Amino acid sequence: MTKSNILKGGLLTGLLFCFTQFGAQAQDDLLDMLEDEQGPTTEYAFATFKGTKIVNLQSPELPGKGVLQYTILHRFGSFSDDFFYNFLGLDNAQVRLTLDYSICDWLNIGIGHSGVNKVYDGFVKYRLFRQSKGAKNFPFTITGFSGLYYSALRFPEGVPFNESDRLSYVHELVVARKFNQKFSAEIVPTVTHFNLVDSADFSNDVYSIGLAARYKFTRMHSINVEYVYQLNPNSFLDPESNNLSPYPNALSVGVDIETGGHVFQLFLTNSRGVSEPYVFSQSTGNWLDGDIHFGFNISRVFTIKRPKTPDEES
Amino acid sequence: MKTRILSLVLMAAFSLSSYAQKISTRNGYIKFFSETSVENIKAENNQVSSVIDLETGQFAFLVQIKAFQFEKALMQEHFNENYMESGKYPKASFKGNIAGFEKLDLSKDGKYEVNFEGTMTIHGTDRTISEPATIMVKGGEISLTSSFNLSPEEYGVEIPASKRDNIAESLEITVKMNYDKK
Repeated sequence: MTKSNILKGGLLTGLLFCFTQFGAQAQDDLLDMLEDEQGPTTEYAFATFKGTKIVNLQSPELPGKGVLQYTILHRFGSFSDDFFYNFLGLDNAQVRLTLDYSICDWLNIGIGHSGVNKVYDGFVKYRLFRQSKGAKNFPFTITGFSGLYYSALRFPEGVPFNESDRLSYVHELVVARKFNQKFSAEIVPTVTHFNLVDSADFSNDVYSIGLAARYKFTRMHSINVEYVYQLNPNSFLDPESNNLSPYPNALSVGVDIETGGHVFQLFLTNSRGVSEPYVFSQSTGNWLDGDIHFGFNISRVFTIKRPKTPDEES
Repeated sequence: MKTRILSLVLMAAFSLSSYAQKISTRNGYIKFFSETSVENIKAENNQVSSVIDLETGQFAFLVQIKAFQFEKALMQEHFNENYMESGKYPKASFKGNIAGFEKLDLSKDGKYEVNFEGTMTIHGTDRTISEPATIMVKGGEISLTSSFNLSPEEYGVEIPASKRDNIAESLEITVKMNYDKK
């Protein structure tokens, strides 16, 4: 290689260097520069479902920090139970009321009361992981839920019992994914524990797998389906056949309607119970027999503690 | 040959120095305010990035939609989910220039009324805008403030009829950028 060739080579490299330098500078696009400066960001999925519940199952959602949520849940009488005589089931309505509050964005606590079995309950819901993409990637939002239920139903005269016999527990682990703007789904391993069951043959623990999905057909409306499959269902005395038959799995189909501060959930379900333990493991209705209940959940939120907003003067 | 190499080196140095002729911030502030007889809605964002090229007067800012803070958490969720669709369009931006920038002398303290012109991108929709702004220089620190109106519907953000009374047709936007010292 001659001396001049080396020089030419050096010059060429110099030129290339300069062009790349110019390229970086002539990144006339200031926006690209801002994007670069911001670096990779993490996009967290949000609003995977509209409500904090699908129908009976928990959704991964929690109300925002400092938000008090009041819900009214109704289950009407079954279609197969003298439907018109009972004014479309309204005369046999069962009610549940709950009040919950988010201490922080990932922690919510609440209390409730349900007419079925006169249950008083307390619950806690907490978000463990958030679905995200970008700098941090995680495919699911994972939320835990635990409830403690106290049945205040009177025991028959003369039957000895312990106060702890009134208690039952439900634990749900909601693993949810928002696939796109419209479609979300979740799988919910659930365990329901009763301190007291009807027979020594029955299991105190009922394990089940909840499945739920939603499809948003407008911005404010979605259609939801929910199914809770019991792995080891207990049995009940079917009044029609007078035989012991396993409790059916709870299936619910509904619509969410969002109107600002409210979410209205209207649905059909075969579960008569309104609080979790009775829904998941003691639903007696059978869809095929027309044991379907119309029901609704209505939620209203109140902002108790306003989130801090950036101060204009700062 | 030596002079040519020298000139290349000089050009490279020049390009580097001009790179430094930009002022920027990562905590610019943008507020929007909607006023109707039903309710007032305010949202603030103090994580706006912005840059001004002091040589050319080019001006840009980049806004993370999810960083807008509302007074109500649910309102913030609806803003992102139902209106801005921030999962799909996570950022809004402006890119353009400050008109008559070459006439300004930003080396001394002062207050200048200017116009910025260019392309605003919100909700994936581009629009050409021209709005007034004030540039302040104080002790070597440069800031820019601006206040203007925009209509969400012009950017393809649909407001359903049921919410027409709650959300103003024209939103009041306030921009405040305090640029870092060079």
